[in-house]
Amino acid sequence: MSDTDIRGSSRRLICLATTAALLAAAFQGAVTQVGAQTAEAEIADLVGVWDGGPRVRRVNGPNMPWTPENFPVLNERALAFQQVFDEAIAPKYDCVPSASPAIQYDPYFMEFVQWPDRVLIRYEKDDQLRTVWMDGREPTLADYSIQGFSVGRYEGDALIVETSHFVFDITGFDDYNGIPSSQLKTVTERYWRDGEELRMTLTLEDPLFLREPASYTTRWLPAPEDYRLAPYECDPEEARRSVKFMIPKYR
Amino acid sequence: MKRLLWISSLVAVVVVGFVFTSLPAVAHHSSAPFYDPTKSVEAIGVVERFVFRNPHSFLFIDGENADGEAVEWEVELGAAVSMRRAGWTPETIRAGDSIRAVGQPSRAPGTYGICCSRITRPDGSSIRR
Repeated sequence: MSDTDIRGSSRRLICLATTAALLAAAFQGAVTQVGAQTAEAEIADLVGVWDGGPRVRRVNGPNMPWTPENFPVLNERALAFQQVFDEAIAPKYDCVPSASPAIQYDPYFMEFVQWPDRVLIRYEKDDQLRTVWMDGREPTLADYSIQGFSVGRYEGDALIVETSHFVFDITGFDDYNGIPSSQLKTVTERYWRDGEELRMTLTLEDPLFLREPASYTTRWLPAPEDYRLAPYECDPEEARRSVKFMIPKYR
Repeated sequence: MKRLLWISSLVAVVVVGFVFTSLPAVAHHSSAPFYDPTKSVEAIGVVERFVFRNPHSFLFIDGENADGEAVEWEVELGAAVSMRRAGWTPETIRAGDSIRAVGQPSRAPGTYGICCSRITRPDGSSIRR
């Protein structure tokens, strides 16, 4: 082995050792951070697959969001959008996924996965995955998306999820009232266990369209044992098929 | 005889009702923009194809309209993921099966859509194999 080879090998060893040291320090920091939160708040056990189907909460029933009692107070901008909205242009007919605050109430199953630095919420509807960051990170301009950017914390026996950085969504309020939501939409979810039930209170704010926050509470029950979420694989042809059955608002 | 007919009708309603209640609900958004819940329509014919998909499955029936003209009925059903949990598979209904669907008619003139339907064999018996 030449001197050049020996010097090259030494440099590689030093690089490897430095990288390992940096990784160890980062890991130690992450463990310390999670450990500190664990000490301050009890981590609510939300892990599992949850049934949000019609047996748990009646489809189109009296307790669904939004009822006359909790329907948000819309401003003139929202009313104007609602006035001109035509159901045929709803993005769901092209398989664009449902988002907060509607996806939580879609009558399908979902799954909670809890990691030390994040909570993953998987929805059977539209194959959606939301990541709730628990490590204190903050969103960047690259984090605007249809599901937004979520951060979370444990508070007492509950998980609090705060989501911002939504993109404008022409049916972002829910998927059947023709009310849009803006980039200023924020959604706060509080999840907790009540016996075998998983409960959630959701509060929605959007100063571009709502005069005041709106809120609803719903629940899930444990899915049958060993149930795994099935692929949704939305078919755009079938999603749009029934649109021709409507009498269009505009011709 | 009338009593026998009444009993037969009652049994048919119970059977149909069972089949109907075993169907998963359609997605939570309202079907009202597409279908008229104040009306009822019946489609009897032969299954052309059964599309078991998300967000909604569809059943295509070669049958007749009220004027006796040959039409293709498009019967909207639930999401495949929900129907599968209720025991449905893509083979629950097969091309060539004789079938009857009673439900809400589609709103747009000249279309033959049906929603929220009760699906049975033409004699009212269960479609379950």
